[in-house]
Amino acid sequence: MPEITDVENEFIREEIEEYLEQPNEIERAINTFSQISSAMQEIAAALIDGDHHTVDQLTSTALEEGTDALEIMDDGLIAGMSIVGIKFRENFIFVPEVLACARAMKAGMAYIEPILSASGIEPVGTVVMGTVKGDLHDIGKNLCIMMLRGAGFVVHDLSVDTSEDEFIDAVEEYDADLLGMSALLTTTMPNMGKTIEAFIDADLRDDVKIMVGGAPVTQEFADDMGADGYGKDAVECVELSKRLLAEDDEEF
Amino acid sequence: METEINSMTSRQRVLAALSREPVDRTPVCNPTSVATVELMDLVDAPFPAANREPELMARLAATGYTELGFDTIMPVFSIIQESSALGCKIQWEQKDNWPTVKMMEPIYEDVDDINIPSDLLTHQDTKCVLDAIKILKKEYGDEVAVIGKTMGPWSLGYHCFGVEPFLLMSLDDPDKTLHCLDKLKKVTIDFGVAQIDAGADALTLPDHATGDLVSGDYYRRYLRDLHIEFVDSIPIPLILHICGRTVDRMDYIAQTGMSAFHYDSKNKPQESIEITQERISLVGNINNPETLFARGPEEVRQEVYSNLDAGIQLVGPECAIPLQTAIENLVEIPKAVQDWHSERAAQN
Ligand code: B12
Ligand SMILES: [Zn+2]
Repeated sequence: MPEITDVENEFIREEIEEYLEQPNEIERAINTFSQISSAMQEIAAALIDGDHHTVDQLTSTALEEGTDALEIMDDGLIAGMSIVGIKFRENFIFVPEVLACARAMKAGMAYIEPILSASGIEPVGTVVMGTVKGDLHDIGKNLCIMMLRGAGFVVHDLSVDTSEDEFIDAVEEYDADLLGMSALLTTTMPNMGKTIEAFIDADLRDDVKIMVGGAPVTQEFADDMGADGYGKDAVECVELSKRLLAEDDEEF
Repeated sequence: METEINSMTSRQRVLAALSREPVDRTPVCNPTSVATVELMDLVDAPFPAANREPELMARLAATGYTELGFDTIMPVFSIIQESSALGCKIQWEQKDNWPTVKMMEPIYEDVDDINIPSDLLTHQDTKCVLDAIKILKKEYGDEVAVIGKTMGPWSLGYHCFGVEPFLLMSLDDPDKTLHCLDKLKKVTIDFGVAQIDAGADALTLPDHATGDLVSGDYYRRYLRDLHIEFVDSIPIPLILHICGRTVDRMDYIAQTGMSAFHYDSKNKPQESIEITQERISLVGNINNPETLFARGPEEVRQEVYSNLDAGIQLVGPECAIPLQTAIENLVEIPKAVQDWHSERAAQN
């Protein structure tokens, strides 16, 4: 089994030692980073540091040098983002720092995305996300989207104040595997249930897995309104999405 | 130290508690909003009109005292009145939801864009607040504390720049951010002072530098000194409101000299009072979504008791109460406060 000393990049080694506490997460991080090239570790480090200029530059250089776009995405950007998600969940960093990491991710993806779509590589899954009708809180939803993109999902963001019809239209248009709804207000939380009803009425409920989240939402509430899953933070949102997709594969 | 129960008016009680002087019983107070759909129906003053017309605003606000038995009246149910006057686009919503700023369409991109319009205090949405305070002061001013609300520069920054651009700027360019806050503080001061002139007894000052968004060190770096300055330039009791996790910055908050801090249920009463000690009064912290909205009077009572047991100076909900909250749960707050004091008096 690899040890922390097998991780070549000093910055990443320190990040793991300082901020990761759960044994399984430490093990996973060491496994990942001990196996990736030093160039990719540098990209991951710059992303964790929220430095979009460096990510931009390193990504472009790596591509010029012939590194595979998929490798840059998986080993550089996604691997870095997984550390960011944990640091945020544990309150080591806050929203501004995460936004800076998201900007760095975007800088790298600006090179990667066109290459991947031209080569027809399938994304992990397609997700439609939005904040429900009447609700304008979007910070949490945006962080979830960022982590989902950081995990290789294609996400269509419907922004805030999203009506039932807008959710339905987007799921159909993008042929989404998953729908994620966010609500931060008790006054708008019932709109999640209403949207689920609308999917049933439109005879589309079986076509898409529906997940919900946001501070006042609970597992109990999610079950009551007939959602397929609930996630309490952005890290869980990614795990949940992967789980729901796997269930989906079993069913078909 | 306590005087006989119910020997003070609500107004005296609130003002005493805000300066940590002896009270006959702990006052009940919501410095954010107590508007609910049920109350709107009761006095025929629904949103969105009650956010824009002074008579309706005053009528709905008064129910906090007349129907719920709270010791304060708070006419500003939203956090967007002055942002509207600054030129932000507002989604006024319907009866069952609060109005909000369309932050996806920010009005500022840079510090030079900050221009405080000359009609800041005569714009419909700021004037509405001033007129509502005048009405309330005339009608209830002797008995109840009328509390106004003036938004802090950090929250105004969210509204005018959009939350994400503003937070990114705070990371990329701290000097520019400080400069923006310094320009925006004029709105906080001018609107606050105008509400004093209109008759407000105290002011809530929301400034959402919460632990759900930014670090405690951010509060120290960007806001503590500005908040100290507000205490000097707005000469009535100020109640700082920051919802969410704040224990990590309560020590800094207690250094500002503000009269009170309105705190959220994500922070424990006992721990909070140990940090703030006698430097600032605490107001709160009954949970909104889980307790007031979703549970019953028994659970509300428990939270009131745990605040009183900890020695919290003013008891009330943690933030603007959900609009669908049942009146039954709200009237339980003053009842529980009375009972707690009667039980204590009987023990002594
Ligand atoms: C920031 C904030 C605002 C900002 C919003 C800016 C924006 N663009 O989002 C401003 C200041 C504008 C604002 C306005 C209002 N707010 Co506000 N706000 C907050 C605050 C302080 C933090 C919310 C936040 O962003 N948290 C940080 C993020 C990262 O956490 P999160 O959203 O929970 O998301 C995480 C998880 O929940 C999860 N998640 C989120 N979505 C999803 C989706 C899926 C599918 C999954 C799996 C997971 C998931 O992952 C995220 C990342 O870890 C909270 C207080 C609090 N402590 O929660 C109040 C709070 C949400 N607001 C509240 C209120 C009352 C209001 C106003 C009505 C105030 C007023 N009187 O006008 C308005 C209403 C606006 C509207 N119509 O929507 C109340 C809501 C009470 C209730 N439950 O009904 C709260 C809870 C405060 C309180 N204690 O009472 N607000
Ligand atoms: Zn609040």
